[in-house]
Amino acid sequence: MATPGTMIAAVERSASEIDDLDTLVHLYWTRVFRFALASLRDPDAAGSVAQDCFLRAYRSREQFRGDCSIQSWLMRIAVNLIRDYARNRRLQFWKRASASAVDLEAVSQWIPDDDASPESRAMAREQLAAVWKAAGGLSERQRTVFLLRFVEDMDLLEIAAATGMKEGTVKLHLFRALQAVRERIGRSQ
Amino acid sequence: MSQHLSSQEISQWMIGERTPQQEQHVRQCSECGAELARLQAALALFRGSVRHCSGRQSRSEPSDIASILSVRRGPRIQPMRWALAAAALLVLAAVPIYRNAQDRQRQAEIARADTLLLEQVDAEVSRAVPRPMEPLVKLVSWDFSSTIQNEEIR
Repeated sequence: MATPGTMIAAVERSASEIDDLDTLVHLYWTRVFRFALASLRDPDAAGSVAQDCFLRAYRSREQFRGDCSIQSWLMRIAVNLIRDYARNRRLQFWKRASASAVDLEAVSQWIPDDDASPESRAMAREQLAAVWKAAGGLSERQRTVFLLRFVEDMDLLEIAAATGMKEGTVKLHLFRALQAVRERIGRSQ
Repeated sequence: MSQHLSSQEISQWMIGERTPQQEQHVRQCSECGAELARLQAALALFRGSVRHCSGRQSRSEPSDIASILSVRRGPRIQPMRWALAAAALLVLAAVPIYRNAQDRQRQAEIARADTLLLEQVDAEVSRAVPRPMEPLVKLVSWDFSSTIQNEEIR
């Protein structure tokens, strides 16, 4: 039975396999949804963006030339969709926040089960809350590269391909994002 | 390298930009090592938190995305298309009506002007003499009647 790793490798080998939408969705849905959720913090919006992402990818599959990985290509589509969604949402700032929005307080409380002391766990919770808050306060570009790097584990070149930025620009945004996160973590202590 | 890593150098380290001297320093300096470990741990917690949240919130991966997408797209796009088509039809239908109304109005104006002109012409034609000569006609009429009266008296 093929593992996800070998399946991804198989998809990467041949761009023509984009034609198999079901496989594409099976392999990349989680990542695209997760990235959208972390960016928008709204599960409904993240689900819509993920569906639109795969729909758009499928419709424009002829344009995929294989000069980047399928993941980078999908993330690039997702980045654009998220940007469009965020802009539209900004225009509707008077609307109440979505009822399904992610509860940051609850998310910040998440700490993996381990044998750490209560003090360590409390400190970890504070740090986690600080990172969530810092990520929320980043600029759109900083947040995008921050999430792609530290949540999706993409390297700088992949992020550059996914965002359409130059590698140096990615580094700059990542540097500023890290500075902001570190400052927030420092303040939380 | 004996100095601790600066704030900027720590962020650069996290991006992957580090010199051999900095690597050697971090290996030997517990303070810088602890600072980097703390930041890495916070980021790892964040990654885990996002993944946990995503796994909990995720609508399960669509089993047949093609049909789901077509269903989802359907109600969003169809009304818009119908609305556009209806608007286009309305515009197309309104143009001839508007033009007809304009034409009718123009023709009515022309007819009114024609009628006015004809009335003026009729008025002018029905005069025995031109309007400037009308006082003379009255004068001549008066003389003529008085002459007749004088002759009768005689």
